[in-house]
Amino acid sequence: MGEAKYTYTPEIPEVFRCRVPMEGTGQSYVTNGVLREEFYSPEGLSLKPSDIRGFSLEVKSGSKCEQTLQIISFRDSTDTNELRFENRVLLEENSSSSILLCTHTLTLDHFSTEEVIKIEAKKGSNTNIVVMQNEHNHSTHKVKFVIESHQSSYLKINVITLHGALLENDFDVKLIGEGAVCELNGVYLVDGEQVIKTNVVMNHMVRECLSSQLFKGILDDTAKAYFTGRIVVAQDAQKTQAYQANHNLLISQGAKAYAQPQLEIYADDVKCSHGATSGRLDDNALFYMRSRGIGKAEAKLLQQLAFVYDVLEKIDNVQLRERLNDLVESRLRGEFGHCTNCSMNCC
Amino acid sequence: MLEIKGLHASIGGKEILKGIDLSVKAGQVHAIMGPNGSGKSTLSAVLAGRDTFEVTKGEVTFSGLNLLELSPEERARQGLFLGFQYPVEIPGVSNVNFMKTAINEQRKFRALPPITAAEFLKMMREKMAVVEMDSSFSGRGVNVGFSGGEKKRNEIFQLAMLDPVLSILDETDSGLDIDALRIVASGVNKLKRDDNAFIVITHYQRLLDYIIPDVVHVLYDGRIIKSAGKELALEVEQRGYDWLINGL
Repeated sequence: MGEAKYTYTPEIPEVFRCRVPMEGTGQSYVTNGVLREEFYSPEGLSLKPSDIRGFSLEVKSGSKCEQTLQIISFRDSTDTNELRFENRVLLEENSSSSILLCTHTLTLDHFSTEEVIKIEAKKGSNTNIVVMQNEHNHSTHKVKFVIESHQSSYLKINVITLHGALLENDFDVKLIGEGAVCELNGVYLVDGEQVIKTNVVMNHMVRECLSSQLFKGILDDTAKAYFTGRIVVAQDAQKTQAYQANHNLLISQGAKAYAQPQLEIYADDVKCSHGATSGRLDDNALFYMRSRGIGKAEAKLLQQLAFVYDVLEKIDNVQLRERLNDLVESRLRGEFGHCTNCSMNCC
Repeated sequence: MLEIKGLHASIGGKEILKGIDLSVKAGQVHAIMGPNGSGKSTLSAVLAGRDTFEVTKGEVTFSGLNLLELSPEERARQGLFLGFQYPVEIPGVSNVNFMKTAINEQRKFRALPPITAAEFLKMMREKMAVVEMDSSFSGRGVNVGFSGGEKKRNEIFQLAMLDPVLSILDETDSGLDIDALRIVASGVNKLKRDDNAFIVITHYQRLLDYIIPDVVHVLYDGRIIKSAGKELALEVEQRGYDWLINGL
C-alpha cells in the first residue's frame, strides 16, 4: 500500500460551547434566537422553544432548584438578519430558582437583536436572575423585560453589561400582589463610542410592595449612558417602599451620562427615594493610593472596581460573583472579557 | 538620606514654602513644629509628590535621587512614606486588597514575585499587632467608617507593612485621645531603626513625649526659623511661637 495522497476530513460545523462551565450550573444554548435541541432541563424546570425563536421557561410550582440554569444566547454569521423574538419565563408558586442569561456575538457581523423577556413571578416565588451582556462593537441589542410580580414574590435581576455598540435594557415592572419585592441592579462599562440605555418603569399597583433599583456605570472616551427611571405608586399602594439610584463615573471629558429619575406618587403613606449622580475619579484617593506605591493606572483601576463593587455584591451566587468580578476587572484593564482558562471569544 | 536645599513651592501662584533647608540622616527623628499656616503640611505634600503644589525653586535629594523628578508612586517605591493628616476613605477597596496591591506593586518594582497568601497573612497579623489593630479591620473598606484614632493607627499599620526608609508623619497626633496617641507612638518607636528615619510634623509637644526627636525645627511663614535639640519642643510648649517670630 502506498501512502495516501490526501485524507478526507468531513466538515463538521463547530458548535459553540462554553468551555469553563461553573459548578452547579446547567447550560442551554440559543443560537440566533433559536433554542438548541439538546437543551438541558434540570428537575423542576421546563425549557422549551416558545416559537421558532425564543424560549419558554417554566419553574414548576414548589420546586426548589439548586442548580443555576445558564442560557447562553449568541449571534453568529449563520443568521445575520435583524431578529425580533419573545421569551417567556413563568415562575410558579413557591418555586425558587437561579437563572443566568448570557448574550454574546461570535462573529463580527453587524447584528441587531430585539427581544422581549416576559416574566411572571407567581405567589411566593423566589428568583435570582443574572444577565451578562458581552457583545462586540457592531452589535445592537435591545432587551425588554416585562415583569408581573404576584403576592409575596421575590425577584432580583442583576445586569452586567460589559460590551456592545448599542445596548438597551428596558424594564416594565408591575407589582400586582401585596408584599411583592422586585430588585433591579445593573453595572455597565462603556467606552469608545458605545451607548447604553436603561429604562425602568416600576409600577406599584398594590400596597406593601418593595422595589429597589441600583444602576452604576463607568464611562470612558465618548461613550454615553442614558437612564430613565420612573416609579409610579398607585393611590391604593400604601406602605410602598421604592428606591432608585443611578450613579455614573466619568473617566474622560468626552463621556456623557444622562439621568432622568421620575416619581409619580398617588398614595400618601410611602417611602420613596431617588438619586442620580455623575462624578469623576477622586484625586485624593488616587494620590493616597499612589503614595503607597500603587501605580497611577492600577490606582485608577482600583477606584473603578470600588465604584461598582456594591452592585456586584448583590449577586448572591459567590462563584458567579467572583467570575463576574474577574470579567469586570479584565474589561476595565482593556482586555477582552474572557473567563479564566477559556480561549473562546464570547464577545 | 534626605537633603532639601532652598525649596520653594506655591499653590495657585501663592508662595507657601519660601526656601526650606533640611538634612535628615539615617537613624534620626526630626520634629517639625510651627503655627497654623506655616507650611508644615505643604512641605510633607510636596515631598510625597502631590501635584497641586508647584515647586518653583530648590532641590531635594533622597537616597541619591532627584526626588522632585519622581512620581508619587516612584517615591513610595524608593522608600518614602507619608502618613496623612486626613487619611482618605476608599469605599469598596478593602484594607487587605489595598495593602496587597501596594506590596505587590512595590515588589514588582524590586523584581520580586508577588507575595504568597500565607506570607501576606502572617505579615498582616504581625503588623496589625504593632498598632493593636483588630483583625476585623482588614476586611473593611480603607478607612471607611474608621474613627479618627483608627485612621491614624491604620496609617502606622501601613507604614509597618511597607517598611519605608523615610517616614513623614503629618500631624499624626491630631484628633487622638491619649490612649490612641500612646499606641501610635509606640508603633513608631517599634519601627525605628538605625537604617530608617522619621520626620514628625506636629502642633503639640505632647507627641514628642513619646517619640523623642533628635532635632526639632520650627517652621514659620515657609521657612525654618529655628532648629535645636529636643528641648526646643518644650520651650515652644511653654512660651508659644511669638518669641521666635518676634526675634526674626
